[in-house]
Amino acid sequence: MIIGNLRIELEPRLSTPKWLYAAVPVLSLLFAFVVGGVFLALTGHSPIGTFSLLIERGYASTKGITNTLGSATPLICTGLAAAFAFRMNLFNIGEEGQMYLGMIGSAWAGIVLAGHLPSFAAVPMVLLFGALSGALWVLLPAVLRAKLGTSEIVSSLLLNYVALNLVNYFIFGSRGMFRDPTTSFPQGRLIEESARLGSFGTTRTYPTVLIAVALAIGLYWFMKRSNYGYETSVFADSPNTARYAGMSSTKLTLSVLLFSGALAGLAGSMYVVGPAGKVDPGLLQIGLGYAGIVVAALARYNFVAVILTAILFAGLREGGASLQISSNPVPISIAVVLQGSVLLFALGGEVFRRNRLRIRRIQQVGVVS
Amino acid sequence: MGSHRSGGATLFALSARQVTKRFPGVLANDRVDFDLLPGEVHTLLGENGAGKSTLASVLCGLYKPDEGAVLRNGTQVRLTSPRHGLQNGIAMVHQHFRLVDRFSVAENVVLGHRKLPFLLRANDLEDQVGQVAERFGLPLDPRAVVGELSAGQRQRVEIVKALYHGAEILLLDEPTALLAPPEVEKLFETVRAMTQAGKSVVFVSHKLGEVVDISDRVTVMRDGRVTGSVARGEADTRKLAELMVGRDIDLSPRRSRGEARETLLSLSNVGLTKDGVDRISQVSFAVRAGEIVGVAGVSGNGQRELAEIVAGLIAPTSGEVSINGERVNGVGTRNVRKAGLAYVPEDRLGTGLAPSLSIVDNLVLTRDRGFLVDRKSAHLEAEAFIKQLEIKTPSALTATRKLSGGNSQKVLLAREIFTAGSNSRVLVVCSPTRGLDVGAVEAVHKLLDEARNAGKAILLISEDLDEVLTLADKILVLYRGSVVHEATGDQVDVEAVGLAMAGLS
Repeated sequence: MIIGNLRIELEPRLSTPKWLYAAVPVLSLLFAFVVGGVFLALTGHSPIGTFSLLIERGYASTKGITNTLGSATPLICTGLAAAFAFRMNLFNIGEEGQMYLGMIGSAWAGIVLAGHLPSFAAVPMVLLFGALSGALWVLLPAVLRAKLGTSEIVSSLLLNYVALNLVNYFIFGSRGMFRDPTTSFPQGRLIEESARLGSFGTTRTYPTVLIAVALAIGLYWFMKRSNYGYETSVFADSPNTARYAGMSSTKLTLSVLLFSGALAGLAGSMYVVGPAGKVDPGLLQIGLGYAGIVVAALARYNFVAVILTAILFAGLREGGASLQISSNPVPISIAVVLQGSVLLFALGGEVFRRNRLRIRRIQQVGVVS
Repeated sequence: MGSHRSGGATLFALSARQVTKRFPGVLANDRVDFDLLPGEVHTLLGENGAGKSTLASVLCGLYKPDEGAVLRNGTQVRLTSPRHGLQNGIAMVHQHFRLVDRFSVAENVVLGHRKLPFLLRANDLEDQVGQVAERFGLPLDPRAVVGELSAGQRQRVEIVKALYHGAEILLLDEPTALLAPPEVEKLFETVRAMTQAGKSVVFVSHKLGEVVDISDRVTVMRDGRVTGSVARGEADTRKLAELMVGRDIDLSPRRSRGEARETLLSLSNVGLTKDGVDRISQVSFAVRAGEIVGVAGVSGNGQRELAEIVAGLIAPTSGEVSINGERVNGVGTRNVRKAGLAYVPEDRLGTGLAPSLSIVDNLVLTRDRGFLVDRKSAHLEAEAFIKQLEIKTPSALTATRKLSGGNSQKVLLAREIFTAGSNSRVLVVCSPTRGLDVGAVEAVHKLLDEARNAGKAILLISEDLDEVLTLADKILVLYRGSVVHEATGDQVDVEAVGLAMAGLS
């Protein structure tokens, strides 16, 4: 671009200085708040006051941070699910539906099987069934992708709508086993008490947060050190090289997608063993599956960073929701605007991480002859 | 550069004066001077990254110089685009052709011409294009669809296109890279016809051998600078190589130094039929310990299929492949490796190596890895290789795509020659020096020679005839999937090999 006698260019960087890896996300966050601030000012709210309230209610108070951790728990799982698949260039967009299936599978196990088991085994079993159901929901897209090369993006996305209607059918459309038989009000039947986990004290944080965090760290280690992690990284980088080395693309594609689905399913079961205790249509309202994709992208598909971005996102949501209750109520949409701008600036910031902005004075070409 | 004619700069058809061009981290052209006479064939010689293509791009208007000037007939021109260059009579034929496959030759040639009538009359255009082609001795059917033409024919389309648009100066970027020897000869005839008509030709090349014959003058570049300019008669390959690389280079033939011993790789009557077409038919040969068997041929005559059959990536539809006496038809790459085969594919970054992974991780690729990957021993090994083979890299953890072609090839060869397993005695190598510098070519040839003398059986499949002639103890020529010619390393009739490559034997 040329303005006056200045030439403004983006030049690719040969190497990225380390500080930029930290500076880009921090600056994107800052810019996102500036944009959010403009919206606030335009709608007659004080930006500084609103943001300090948001931070207090999202992160800086005991109640705020424990609420945030509670809602970050399933978000970490869907974030891991997306990161796991995306790292291998497999774009599983079906976390939302796989999570619903995880909820249904866990509720089934919690209602039918949990009574036959001692309580120390009941919770793991319910979680396992959730993971299996999530994996099952991605089986079809995974097989189509691995065997026929069909785009997993479309097939996994479309199954989200099937899953959504399945949940609605179980609760609102039928009087099946997932529906609470004791009342005519349409709501889910509670699972066995032995299969549920209580929260920490009076907070809304459940022990499942520890599982989610352990999963992220374990996955990070496993994919870095194991042969499986190595093979997936070769395959992601260059399928031809994987073929050259005799790796099976079918096995890798299937296993990665199934494991991604299992992680998303686990998000649903954590919701069941924790706050919900049943198939709860409330989960359909909050889009944790789609948010997981955003969380993973923001974490640049790093499993440990997913923990942080999930907490950041959950905090914006919790804090944003509570802003509706204040002396000068702020609409929830402001929190959504903030989330959107965080993502936008973070992805835009990538341009500056990879390129350098150069502004040069245009020189007259000297004539020598 | 002094002209042998009297007079000032006005004599030159095209000149570069103190041209400097920078790219991020690279000074591609550093105060370069270049002069082209009318009717001259002038070669720009240099290794990859020497800056010759950058200079050609500046001369044709693709790049704007950061400093310095381009002069056409002694007057400065500020070229803003290749189209602008063409308006000044300057055209470039790129190494990768820029043609529309589904258009006819005539349609491709007239594409982009500003004075076309609103409605095209195909016959008129075809006649015009045919006339241009004929005048310069370029046999070409204007009605043929470009997608069905060979590389040599496509190149002719590009040249006719430039001439049709009024080019007086033609810049050819690595024009012989994709051609068989007879096609190269034809190209040279065309070039002579053009210079007789008063047009000038610039060859951009890194191949020493071929430029000496055709050029009136050779200008050599190294590291963005001109290191010398030599007129016809003064140029010999040795001197040019030294100007290119900056040191003495040994490209003399290397042959087996011992008796060839037991047969390690043998193919008998191997055939491959795909979609009803014979890709490989009735190929039989043996490679013994301590020898290099070279397979020559123009790209696309079954080399890739042959290599993939031996490497176990595809199973032959007939015949038998055996390694160390063990039949390995269709057992898969892992088992072929276990039987003792190492494989250096043609596409080094993207098949042989995973480009974004580190040198260490790429060394691990063909090992038995177990549940957890042991990178410690691989790291030590990588550092040893880096030292031993003089691989230029910031560290063993650098991604292979950040290495130069020569250095990434060294990584691949190191893995396949030294670490592929103690029992690996058969090595299949495909076009190992494609796109490499003269210095790197020398290093790769030395490595292969050493591996041969260490008792490996090596199958060298290469489109570069010079390479096969330099290294092989036995030469096979592959044409349309069959071996059409065989010769022993030191008694080669080069002309017969050339004809066989073109299918004329």
